[in-house]
Amino acid sequence: MAESEHHKRQKRRFTRRVLMLGAGQLGLFGVLGWRLRQLQVVEAPKYTLLAEENRINIQLLAPSRGLIFDRFGKPVATNTDSMRVFIVPELSKNIRDSLDRLGRVISIPGKVRARVLRLASRQSPYVPIVVDDTLSWRQFAQVNVLAPSLPGVQTDILSVRRYHDGNDMAHIVGYVGAANKVEVNEHPVTRLPGFRVGKSGVERGFEPKLRGKAGVIKLEVDAHGHAVRKLETLDSQHGRELVLTIDKEIQTKAMERLKDERRAAIVALDARTGEIIAMASTPSYDPNAIIDGLKEGAWENMANAEDDPFTNKAIRGQYPPGSTFKMVTALAGLEDEAIDLKTKFRCYGGYSYSNAYFGCWRRGGHGAVDVRRAIKQSCDVFFYNVAQRIGITKLSAMGHKLGLGQTYEFGLPLQKPGVMPTPGWKRATLGKPWYGGETIIAGIGQGFVLTTPLQLAVMTARIATGREVMPRIVRPYPDEKIEEAKPLDIKPEHLAIVREGMWAVVNEGGGTAGRARIPIAGVQMSGKTGTSQVNSASSGRSSRGLKWEQRDHGLFVGFAPADNPRYAVAAIVEHGGSGSGAASPVVRDIMTALIERDPVSKPTYVARDAYRQTAEDKRRGGKS
Amino acid sequence: MFSGPLETPRLSFGEKLIAFNWVFIVLITTLVCVGAAALYSVAGGSLDPWAETHVIRYCLGLGLLFMVALTDIKLWMRLAYPVYLVALLMLIAVPILGVGSGGAQRWLQLGSFTFQPAELMKVALVLALARYYEWLPPKHMSNPLALIAPATMIGIPVALVVMQPDLGTAVLFAAVGGGLLFLAGASWIYFVFGIAGIMGAIPFIWHSLHDYQKARVMTFIDPDKDPLGAGYHILQSKIALGSGGVTGKGYMQGTQSQLNFLPEKHTDFIFTMFAEEMGFVGSLSLLAVYLLVLLAIIFMALRCQNQFARLVTAGVGITMFVYVFINVAMVMGLVPVVGVPLPLVSYGGTSMITLMFGFGLVLNAHVHRKTKFRPYETGII
Repeated sequence: MAESEHHKRQKRRFTRRVLMLGAGQLGLFGVLGWRLRQLQVVEAPKYTLLAEENRINIQLLAPSRGLIFDRFGKPVATNTDSMRVFIVPELSKNIRDSLDRLGRVISIPGKVRARVLRLASRQSPYVPIVVDDTLSWRQFAQVNVLAPSLPGVQTDILSVRRYHDGNDMAHIVGYVGAANKVEVNEHPVTRLPGFRVGKSGVERGFEPKLRGKAGVIKLEVDAHGHAVRKLETLDSQHGRELVLTIDKEIQTKAMERLKDERRAAIVALDARTGEIIAMASTPSYDPNAIIDGLKEGAWENMANAEDDPFTNKAIRGQYPPGSTFKMVTALAGLEDEAIDLKTKFRCYGGYSYSNAYFGCWRRGGHGAVDVRRAIKQSCDVFFYNVAQRIGITKLSAMGHKLGLGQTYEFGLPLQKPGVMPTPGWKRATLGKPWYGGETIIAGIGQGFVLTTPLQLAVMTARIATGREVMPRIVRPYPDEKIEEAKPLDIKPEHLAIVREGMWAVVNEGGGTAGRARIPIAGVQMSGKTGTSQVNSASSGRSSRGLKWEQRDHGLFVGFAPADNPRYAVAAIVEHGGSGSGAASPVVRDIMTALIERDPVSKPTYVARDAYRQTAEDKRRGGKS
Repeated sequence: MFSGPLETPRLSFGEKLIAFNWVFIVLITTLVCVGAAALYSVAGGSLDPWAETHVIRYCLGLGLLFMVALTDIKLWMRLAYPVYLVALLMLIAVPILGVGSGGAQRWLQLGSFTFQPAELMKVALVLALARYYEWLPPKHMSNPLALIAPATMIGIPVALVVMQPDLGTAVLFAAVGGGLLFLAGASWIYFVFGIAGIMGAIPFIWHSLHDYQKARVMTFIDPDKDPLGAGYHILQSKIALGSGGVTGKGYMQGTQSQLNFLPEKHTDFIFTMFAEEMGFVGSLSLLAVYLLVLLAIIFMALRCQNQFARLVTAGVGITMFVYVFINVAMVMGLVPVVGVPLPLVSYGGTSMITLMFGFGLVLNAHVHRKTKFRPYETGII
């Protein structure tokens, strides 16, 4: 009885409360209705004024994208105008007639005509239909002059990005494309038709600088969207010009030199400032083809093409550095005082550790070697011993100190960090403990050790100059202070020992890279070869008769002049067979070109807008 | 003697169809037709890409609605907690396994299609709360301990979607949960304290908001300050709405919307576009249809004989109301811009399916309005 009473009360309470809630909802709907009335009845004249008869049309003016030059002012990316003519069916009384008349000025193929008419019958009459977007200046001018007699015909100019020597520069400069869903939310200007944002390379990394600031134009327009008069304009501010550190001449030479290789990369740095003079990766692609719009499927074809033309192997290719890593091992040993200049290890052609046997590349052995000769002749056993003495943690730490195992924040997106392995790293990524044998092969840059060509170039520059050089791709603006890189935390005499060994590699009889000598009197290059094993089957070192995929990678790092380092270069030729055979001649040729041309000694181009823009920025309170 | 028979007869299929609320179907179909017409206009006079899909989705949704409505209500009693649990687990899985888009992670990938667990939770929360109050003996209603379970049921999903971050959905969960507690009969005092607590928490919430969320709120307070940045949408929406005037510019003649001043015209801002073309008269009529739907739901809730059916019905009603109110208030600049669609009119598959599922439950409750549960059917689990 009591239970049923409770239920009755429950029902009554529900009824009471649901009616209250309903009343609340009704009230809130009342608020909506009141607001609707306010907007559409009371203030309708105001908004109608804004919108229709004399609508103030706030238009965004797209800023023109900053130009990109190489270090001597040669154009890399510029903007050209695409002149378009389109037709708005609503404004054209008779669309066929308008097309006929337009056809007397520009030629309209039957196919285009059919497309325009088809779209016109389908879409809302307010949507403009593009008739032609490749007008010449002459045609554009003619159409504009005749516009009054061509109802519904309108013209505009769209800015289109052009890349000069696109194929050579593609991996550095990148390309632009329509804003994606996320980017669209950044700023309304990205919604403008034809507006482009950087998608890769420098175009993406320096997007905020290149984009500029949108302008605003307030127009009084009539019901048909025709401008009656201009009320107010705030000019758009074009994006800043960018001067790359690249020397296009060297860059083209590097691409040219690599064109016979299937997959290869080379990086040339100013060893003192870290400025990237050239960065080539092959195969490449033409960014202009992307700008012009790839046909359906063409994108996938390109993206899935053999040898990844889209991948910049100089920053995204991660390779075992092989013997080019031996400088790291040597320095780690010297710094740890595990070895000194005189320490010798005897090489009988191999090294035993627990149950495993690690061979030296020279089966017959090197005999007793010190650190200098170990670098010169690339004796594996010496470095097995050093690695074993110092352990993996100190070895990796030295790699980090020299710039390996990290990405650099200088504006090139999508870099890969490589791997400087430690027991902690292995546990975290593979879930397995570290084995002693893995330390030993890490000593010669095999096993888990991975580096990118850019990292190897930075490492070489750091060894060459003894400074903590960081790479740069863009020249500083005149008012930007660039501090000289601070000295490395490595004893100068230890660096000198290693440099001495690298000098011997190239310039002494019995060194591994005699053929890398520079054919310029008085200039010597120091360097180090590297041959990194792709799979254990290829450990025989003889690449003949092996399939391309099974051959070893060939690497070479070098700096010159040996006595006063100016340039550092690193190259990898994937499956090139060996460092001395495949990579060292490439580095020699690029280094020769660098020395002959000596780009870092010549005055560089200064962006035309550099001073004005900087002043402008300050005036605006430094906002960007 | 006892009032009313404990046994309630099982309804045959025919009886179910007779007990069905056909007027309700007519009302929601009207809304979908309005939506299809508006989408046709947004596309510049084309069934492609939205109008046709919209109608097809509705037809599929109707199938779901009938399926849900004509099953036995006891099935939904039994499923209430399991469905809630599944929704909760998926909501927890989102930050771990989810895929993000636009700065927020809200989607789960199941095979080839993605969906938002928050959508399922909208219905699941209503079911679970209704299930709880069906079980709770009315005499324990005023016991504060009885409030712990439902508060947890509401609190966990709210916290989870706030972390996603999805403020709009968090507000919806809180509103629906709070509304159901109120309808179930929780004491007034809780609501007074609850509201006071929220007021006190506002400064702290403000601190934890993401920058884009703060920007939205600031824009809402003063849209004219940044007419080209975040305030652009609200201002353009108001211009389009206001310029429609009393009678509107005519179907497919909306200059503001057709000339691309408006963002998201086919989803969140479709009301603006409709109001510009149909004017004050048209948009008020549309609001009236929504009001009729809501009144129909309240009417159905009042006729239910058991607590579960009542609360499910009212809960779906509150969800619908929050959607409509937030969306329409947003496009008129009354509340900040949050991505909430206009039910059955906006283009979008997920919200359509959620709503049709919810409406299916409402009609299920209506069909079984005379059902009374035996005590063993309403055990704690």
